[in-house]
Amino acid sequence: MLLKVENLQAQIDEKQILKGLNLEVKAGEVHAIMGPNGAGKSTLASVLAGRDDYEVTAGTVDFDGEDLLELAPDERARKGLFLAFQYPVEIPGVSNKLFMQTALNGVRAEQGLPPLDMFDFDEYAKDKIELLNMRDDLLERSVNVGFSGGEKKRNDIFQMALLAPKLCILDETDSGLDIDALGLVANGINTLRSPDRSFIVVTHYQRLLNYIKPDYVHVLYDGQIVKSGGFELVHELEEFGYDGIIQKHEQAQ
Amino acid sequence: MSKKIIRKISPMAQQAVDHYIEQSLLLNAAFTNDKVIAGRQRAQAIFAQQAFPVSRDEDWKYTKLTGFVQNRFESLSQHSVKLDDLHAFLPPYAVTKVVFVDGWFSEELSDDLSGLPKGVSFESTRDVFEVPGATDQLFRHEDIINKTPFGILNSLLMADGYYLQISANTVLETPIFVLYVQSQANQMATVRNHVVLEENAEMTLVEQFVSLSADESFKGCTNVVTEMDIAKSARMKQILVQQQNHSSYYFNNQFIFQADQSTFNTFYTGLGSLISRHQNHLFMDGEHIENRQNSACLGRGQQTMDSRTNTQHNQVWGKSQQLHKYVLDDSAVGVFNGMIRVDRLAQKTDGQMDNKNLLLSTKAKVDCKPQLEIYADDVKCSHGSATGQINQDQIFYLQARGIRRSKAIEMITQSF
Repeated sequence: MLLKVENLQAQIDEKQILKGLNLEVKAGEVHAIMGPNGAGKSTLASVLAGRDDYEVTAGTVDFDGEDLLELAPDERARKGLFLAFQYPVEIPGVSNKLFMQTALNGVRAEQGLPPLDMFDFDEYAKDKIELLNMRDDLLERSVNVGFSGGEKKRNDIFQMALLAPKLCILDETDSGLDIDALGLVANGINTLRSPDRSFIVVTHYQRLLNYIKPDYVHVLYDGQIVKSGGFELVHELEEFGYDGIIQKHEQAQ
Repeated sequence: MSKKIIRKISPMAQQAVDHYIEQSLLLNAAFTNDKVIAGRQRAQAIFAQQAFPVSRDEDWKYTKLTGFVQNRFESLSQHSVKLDDLHAFLPPYAVTKVVFVDGWFSEELSDDLSGLPKGVSFESTRDVFEVPGATDQLFRHEDIINKTPFGILNSLLMADGYYLQISANTVLETPIFVLYVQSQANQMATVRNHVVLEENAEMTLVEQFVSLSADESFKGCTNVVTEMDIAKSARMKQILVQQQNHSSYYFNNQFIFQADQSTFNTFYTGLGSLISRHQNHLFMDGEHIENRQNSACLGRGQQTMDSRTNTQHNQVWGKSQQLHKYVLDDSAVGVFNGMIRVDRLAQKTDGQMDNKNLLLSTKAKVDCKPQLEIYADDVKCSHGSATGQINQDQIFYLQARGIRRSKAIEMITQSF
């Protein structure tokens, strides 16, 4: 088991958002988490990545045999957890290259590997740029500054490719993307799929999932997972919307 | 000596005033040049009346001298600095090195200055004092200098410095590197410099201010006045690095007079001292003058970092650019005050002044006052000031990629 979330409860500004969430992800699996606005999707992604705006009030998260909630955000990242942001942040004056070289060498140190110097890093990065069909000047530019929405998301996927994490959490990566950008991002994700890499794809819409074809789909509502299934659940949602599933859930209670 | 003080000051400040006038009298006893002695006497009269500024004075509201006036710094000293003590401060590129210890020019620690290229002359101010008739130029701008409190203190205790002259059409390739060393505690280094660039001359001046001890009890004060005459088409580049220890004081008033088509670029880096105040008084007295005044201050602990400019556009087609940045941590205080004054003759002026500040802690603060005074109607002037906390989203983004929080803050600060 790569990730085991049990009875996770979390709040922000005294407002309870996650109300006992359970989730298990094995190596190589792709899980989609869908749900209406305000269900707690982004909260889940943020809590797993360690954003300190959120306070975990109950529950446990085991990540590859470690208590994830005890780790600082950077430790989580070095141990192989990756969050692709809903809104990747602009950092003027810090080049993508310095950023990624620093990040990668942090991850490598964690794995007991020697750091890559400028030249080795360039070579390593060049392969990934080609793999993801990114612009050549990507590394020279300031982090996300002057990037279009699509470029920012692709930059996050590029970072994912460089850091080669065990678990990738994509927080509404598809939001604000046109159909071409969505295709490029989905293609990038598919390229990075492997038997020892898992994904949690958080999204509001099914269109990204049509490209990615997750193994499991979960519906998050009011801080809990109310329904889980295979890819067919995406089609069910397409047909009946969230309302149908939510109504059934509320009747069952 | 009458000591009538017009303004009300504390007994502590009064004692400090008395002390520095006494120091001035001691200096006068040790010097022979009548004009120098008379110059100090004029300063004594003004200082006795004006004393030190207090926080009621608008210009000193944020840079508080209450701690400063408790010190009794001394002017006359003997040092025992060896060249080996200075290695850490020497730049890795070729320079002509000039060393001042506690305000006094040191011939044995400096490079052989008789070897300077043709057209370049360097004299210590103290030597200039010894030449009757050569001292008039030292008092040419006395009225302007004595309008600032530390200019008065400088005139009062003026003892040494340098007089640097670059002849017409001479390009000095190797920078002059001036190292100001605080070697002993409780010293007042009073430095009076004069730089003359004749027509079409060019040079680079690097000035660095250091202390030999980082010890908290090691307090010293450096008070510099530099006059620069930059003649027609001459080009002056200046870099200042102030890294005295965190108990010391630094005051520097630069008076720059630019003629037609000359350029002046200055960059001040403030890192050290408990209280530091660096000020350019820039007079653009010709046409088509260009200049840049930039500064970067990094403050932490209890430091006060004050950097200010007064830029006077007096003729047409002048271009002045400024960028002043502060990064402040802990309880550090930043003070920025910038004035651009455009005379009614100074049409087609292009004046830009920017101030950007990054606060790394909730206790750090910055007081900024960018000002424009424009009396001409065809000008392009702008000023801006922005202060921000370090962006938590940026820190988290870097952390989410495995970069430690401290390193993330370092990267973001450096990029600023």
